[in-house]
Amino acid sequence: MIPTTLYIDQMSEGYVILITGLIIVFLSLFLLTMFFKYGLPILLYTYKILTKGRDKKIKDIAIEADEKFTGEIAAAIATAIHLYLREQHDTENTVLTIKQARKLYSPWSSKIYGIHNILK
Amino acid sequence: MKKILLIFGVISLLVCIRPALGLGTNSTSTIASNTIEQNEETSTEAFIDEAFDGIKQFYHYTGFANATAGHLFMILIGIIFIYLGIKFDYEPLLLIPIGAGVMIGNIPFVSGYQTGIYETGSVLNYLYFGVAKGIYPPLIFLGIGAMTDFSSLIANPKLMLLGAAAQIGVFATFIGALYLGFSLPEAGAIGIIGGADGPTAIFLSSKLANGINLLPDGTTVKNLIGPIAIAAYSYMALVPVIQPPIMKLLTTKKERLIRMKPPRAVSQKEKMIFPIAGLLLTTFISPSALPLLGMLFFGNLLKESGRTERLADTARTKMIDIVTILLGVTVGASTQADIFITKDSMLIFGLGAVSFIIATAGGLLFAKFMNLFLKEDEKLNPLIGAAGVSAVPDSARVVHAVGQKADPHNYLLMHAMAPNVAGVIGSAVAAGIILSFLGN
Repeated sequence: MIPTTLYIDQMSEGYVILITGLIIVFLSLFLLTMFFKYGLPILLYTYKILTKGRDKKIKDIAIEADEKFTGEIAAAIATAIHLYLREQHDTENTVLTIKQARKLYSPWSSKIYGIHNILK
Repeated sequence: MKKILLIFGVISLLVCIRPALGLGTNSTSTIASNTIEQNEETSTEAFIDEAFDGIKQFYHYTGFANATAGHLFMILIGIIFIYLGIKFDYEPLLLIPIGAGVMIGNIPFVSGYQTGIYETGSVLNYLYFGVAKGIYPPLIFLGIGAMTDFSSLIANPKLMLLGAAAQIGVFATFIGALYLGFSLPEAGAIGIIGGADGPTAIFLSSKLANGINLLPDGTTVKNLIGPIAIAAYSYMALVPVIQPPIMKLLTTKKERLIRMKPPRAVSQKEKMIFPIAGLLLTTFISPSALPLLGMLFFGNLLKESGRTERLADTARTKMIDIVTILLGVTVGASTQADIFITKDSMLIFGLGAVSFIIATAGGLLFAKFMNLFLKEDEKLNPLIGAAGVSAVPDSARVVHAVGQKADPHNYLLMHAMAPNVAGVIGSAVAAGIILSFLGN
């Protein structure tokens, strides 16, 4: 009798764990979901207000544009970067040198055995 | 050179003939030569006998004498693991260390000389300590945290629920194991295989089914760390084989063609807040999972804070590599045939396969269920539900591959990563819950 009752107890405890476990897992991830869906935007919004002071409205907080930075400058920089990265412009070495050709010694081309020396 | 050879030659010759010379002098100096000859014979016989005895004894210590069918079978399994890792690229970073470990653990030896992984004092036993006490898993989680980009999850938080849905596999297997006659703590440890998360499975089994804890009826719990870890890791490696048929079975062609909106860009601030908020929320609910979740979110904070790139870099490269090597080899070696090949191990393997199937199905069906409530343009591709079993990032890749088979221009990888990492959090929470219910 005892083993069977133990068995039943174990199973019923198992089902308790099944139900509560699933609920807790869902609950915790649901909490995370809710936090990142609603909590986080509110947090970030309040952070924005705090850092910019209370007197300003949110819509006034805008990134100030640099007026001197025109589209032409951006285009020039972009082109320079593009050309640099792709290396589309031909660059040639402007230093010209004549390489010295190295000749191997051979008695056939030797000055010692040349025809001029025989005449002496 | 010649001189050296000559000297060595002479020395070796002297060494060789010295006994002969010695014996010769003996025989000449004594009168009763007969008896001495007999002595000689007996001494040489004794010498040969001793030599044979030595060889015999040596043979008894070799693997050949001690090998059983179980050892050879397990070595074969180890070789198959290595083969699968190399040939089919199924998680080679896990399968090759584990395969090598299985071979190391199943070399037959004479016990009592501090060789085996289960003998106290042996080197392997010291390395195994990290598994048996659950030290390696949190370190692995630190590295995973420093590797993982949670931005797809932050962009679409509702996908987190898919990670929870796949944990049905954990609890269903738990009930299955109870029906098969395992005790409550053992069943809890077996169930976590359905979480498809190797480190979590090792962590929980080292706490619940470690062969030390006492059950309420006075018996000790079985040591199931080896079988559970091997089952979890081998099914993780087999995700590309197990999941696609279930995915095709439970989704229609039309559902597989659903395209999801690309996730929105996530700001750095949100990424920084995620680990802190995640840590606080999840560990307050399930404090028993603190070693795992604490390290996971800590690693992620290192990555996202932007100031600790050095630490994050170490955690996600060198440190996790070192721990993976130690974990893989020792888990593999813990499959010593005489302890590993039991009916329980076979049952655990069966339950593990079932739990993977249930977890995948749970994720898929829950994604379909969520679709009932979502607007037309926000519908989920139910395939991503299958990524809710952790197995990062393999199951996300499988989802992507299956999705592309239906529509080659549908890119599901980013979407699938969200339930995938949520699955890691979910299985750690589930482990914490089981531990808090059943831990002593």
